[in-house]
Amino acid sequence: MELCGDNRSGSLQGVFEVLNKTIVRLAIPIAASALVLSACGSDDDGGGGGDGQTYKIAYQGPISGQNVALGENMANGIQLAIDEANESGDYDFKLEYFPADDQGSETQATAAAQSAIDDPDVVAVIGPAFSGPTQVAAPLYGQAGLASVSSSATNPTLTDQGFGTFLQAVPNDNAQGAAMAEWLASQDGVSSVMVVDDKSPYGEGLAEVAVNGLEEAGLDVETASVPADTVDYSSAAHDVVSSGVDALIYAGYYEALAPFAIRLNEAGYDGIGVSGDGSNDAELIHLAGDAAEGWYLTCPCTDATQEEATQSFAERYQAAYDTPPGTYSAESYDVANMIIQQIDGLQGNVDRQSLYQALAGAEYEGLTKTFSFDESGAFAEQKIYMYQVDGGQIGYLGAVDELAAG
Amino acid sequence: MSVSDIWDVLVLGVVLGSLYAVIAIGYTLVYGVLQLLNFAHSEVFMSGGYGGVIALTLVEPVADPSGLQSFGYVILGICAGALLGGLVAFGLEKAAYLPLRRRNAPRLVFLITAIGASFFLYNLAGKLFGRYPMPMPTMYENRKLFEIFGTSVSVTQLIIVVTALVMLLLVDFVVNRTKLGSGIRAVAQDPEVASLMGVNIDRVVSRTFVLGGLMGGVAGFLFGTNLQVEYTMGFLPGITAFAAAVLGGIGNVRGAMLGGLTLGVVEAFTVELWGDAWRYVGAFAVLILVLMFRPTGILGERVGRTA
Repeated sequence: MELCGDNRSGSLQGVFEVLNKTIVRLAIPIAASALVLSACGSDDDGGGGGDGQTYKIAYQGPISGQNVALGENMANGIQLAIDEANESGDYDFKLEYFPADDQGSETQATAAAQSAIDDPDVVAVIGPAFSGPTQVAAPLYGQAGLASVSSSATNPTLTDQGFGTFLQAVPNDNAQGAAMAEWLASQDGVSSVMVVDDKSPYGEGLAEVAVNGLEEAGLDVETASVPADTVDYSSAAHDVVSSGVDALIYAGYYEALAPFAIRLNEAGYDGIGVSGDGSNDAELIHLAGDAAEGWYLTCPCTDATQEEATQSFAERYQAAYDTPPGTYSAESYDVANMIIQQIDGLQGNVDRQSLYQALAGAEYEGLTKTFSFDESGAFAEQKIYMYQVDGGQIGYLGAVDELAAG
Repeated sequence: MSVSDIWDVLVLGVVLGSLYAVIAIGYTLVYGVLQLLNFAHSEVFMSGGYGGVIALTLVEPVADPSGLQSFGYVILGICAGALLGGLVAFGLEKAAYLPLRRRNAPRLVFLITAIGASFFLYNLAGKLFGRYPMPMPTMYENRKLFEIFGTSVSVTQLIIVVTALVMLLLVDFVVNRTKLGSGIRAVAQDPEVASLMGVNIDRVVSRTFVLGGLMGGVAGFLFGTNLQVEYTMGFLPGITAFAAAVLGGIGNVRGAMLGGLTLGVVEAFTVELWGDAWRYVGAFAVLILVLMFRPTGILGERVGRTA
C-alpha cells in the first residue's frame, strides 16, 4: 500500500501545507546539493566494538499529524520488536528506538531523514512509511550509506531510481493492479469494468496498472475518479449503476470504500467489486457492515491471522499498547526483527554499510512473509493473494495466479 | 443527460443541500449577532456526529428493528447530536469568545481564536475517540421508499430532508416569532441600543450559539448516517456550508437555507457532468459569480450590519 497522506486537512492546515510545499520545493534542491558536498564526511563512526554496544534503529513515518493512526501501527510494531530483543537477553548489544517524524508528508521528510542521518548510532532506518516521503528521503539515506527498509511504501517507481540503500520490503502496486486485471479477465461473464480511483498517488498508480491490464485482456474499461474526502458517494454509486458494468475496481483506502460500498448497495449495484490492500482491513467490515459482503480484496500478504505466530504477536501487541495491531503492524515488526537478526549476524562488525549489505542479501522468514530483495532493492517475490468478504470476515481465497489459471 | 437522470441528480443535490443549509444556519446566526466568522462551527457539527454515534452505540440497536424502534433510534440520534452540538457550542462561546468580548478584543483576534478553537476541538476529538472513522450503527433497513418521476428515494435520504426541513422551519420560527428571536434580531441590528432597551446581550449571544450548535449537531448526526463519523469530518462540509451562508447573504437565516440548497444542487450537477474531482470547482465558481454581481449574497443582508 502506498500510504500516501490523504488530503483531509483540518481547517486551514491545507493552506499552510501549500505554503510549506512551495518553500520546500525551493529548499530541497539546495539541501540536497549541500549534502552532496558534505556527504563524504558524514559516514558512521559507530562500528567496531561488541559487548554493550548500543545500536539505534530509526523509524521514519507519521508520528504526529493527519496520518498518525497508520504511523502508530508501525511505530508500535517496531518498538515491540526492539523491546522484546532487549528483554530476551539473547544479544550482546542493546537496541534503541529512534523516532523520525515526517508526518507522512513530503515537506517534513528531509528534516526527519536528516535527524536520523545525523545520529551516528543509527545503523538502519525502517521506512519511510509512505511513498511520497520516500521519494524525498531515500536519496538522502543513499548518500549517507544508511539502509532504509520500508514495509509499506509500495510505489513501483521507487526501486527504479537508484537511491542506493533503499529496500522495498513489500510487493509493489504493479503486482497488485496486474493481479486484479488478470483475475477479473478470468471470471465468466465479465466483459466491462469500471475502475474508480481515489485521486491519491496510491489509488491512481494502482488504477493505471489495472486499466492497462484490463485493456490488454480485451475488456471494456471505464474510469472515474472520486477524491477520498468526498462528502457524498451517492453520485459516484449512481454513475456505476447507470453505466451497467459487470465489475468495479476501487483503488483506494477502506475509509472511503466503506461509504462507497454502502451507497453502491443502496443504488442496487449487483456486479463484482474488487479492491486492493488499502481496503483489505477488518475496519472495512466494521464501517460498511453488510454492504462489504462479497467484495474481493487483493493483498501482497498471505493469511497471517490463522497462524499461531501472528496470533501470539497480536496478543503481545495488545498487552503492550492496549489496542490490537493494525495495518502493517506485523510487517514493520518483521522488518525490525530482520534488522536485529542481521545486526546479530555481523558479530560486532556493524556499521551502516555492512548492515546495508547484509540486509540487501538477507532472506528472512518473518511472521507475515519471507523477506528478500532483488538487485534493485525491490521485493523478490511479487505474489498477490485474493481475499473475499464473507459472513462478516475477510476470508482467504488463495494466490491470484492460481485462481486465475482455474 | 436524460430527464430521469436530472431527477436523480436533483434528489442527490437536495439531500446534500439541505444538510449544508442546516449547518449554514449556525454560521449565519453567530455572524448576525457578533459579526464573527465562527470557523469552529465545523467542529460543533463534528461533535454532533459523535453524539449520535455514542448514544446509539450505548443503546445497541436490535438486529431487525420494527418501524417504531427505528423511529426511536433516529430520534435518539437526533437528540444526542443536538445535545452534544449545543453543549460544545455553549462551551466554545464561554471559553473562547466571551473572554475576548469582555476585553473588547479586535475582530482579527476573534477570527484567529476561531481557527485555533477549530484545531483544538478536532484534535481533541481525535484523541478522545480515536482517529479511525466510526460507523453509525444500523438503525433501520435503508431501502427504497418511493419514487418521484422514476427516481428512487431511500429512507436515509427522506430522513435527512425531512429533519432538515423541520429544523429550518423551527429556526425560522424562533428567529422571527419568539422573544429570543427578537433579542437576536435586536442585537444583530445594534447591540448598544438593544442593551439600552433591556436586552441581555451576553444571554442572547450565548443562546444564539446554542441554537446554532443544536442545528449543527443534528446536521452532524444526519451526515454521519449518510457517511461515517470521523474527527476530521467537519472541515469540508463546514467550509462548504460557510460558503453557502455567504452565498445566501451572511447574517440572513433564509439566505443560508437558500444558499445551502443551491450549493448542494450545483455540486450534484457538477459531479454528474464532469466527475467527482470537479465537485467544488463548480460549486465555488457559482459562489464567486454570484458574489461578483451581488456582493451581499442572493438575499442580501436582512439582519445585522454590513460587514
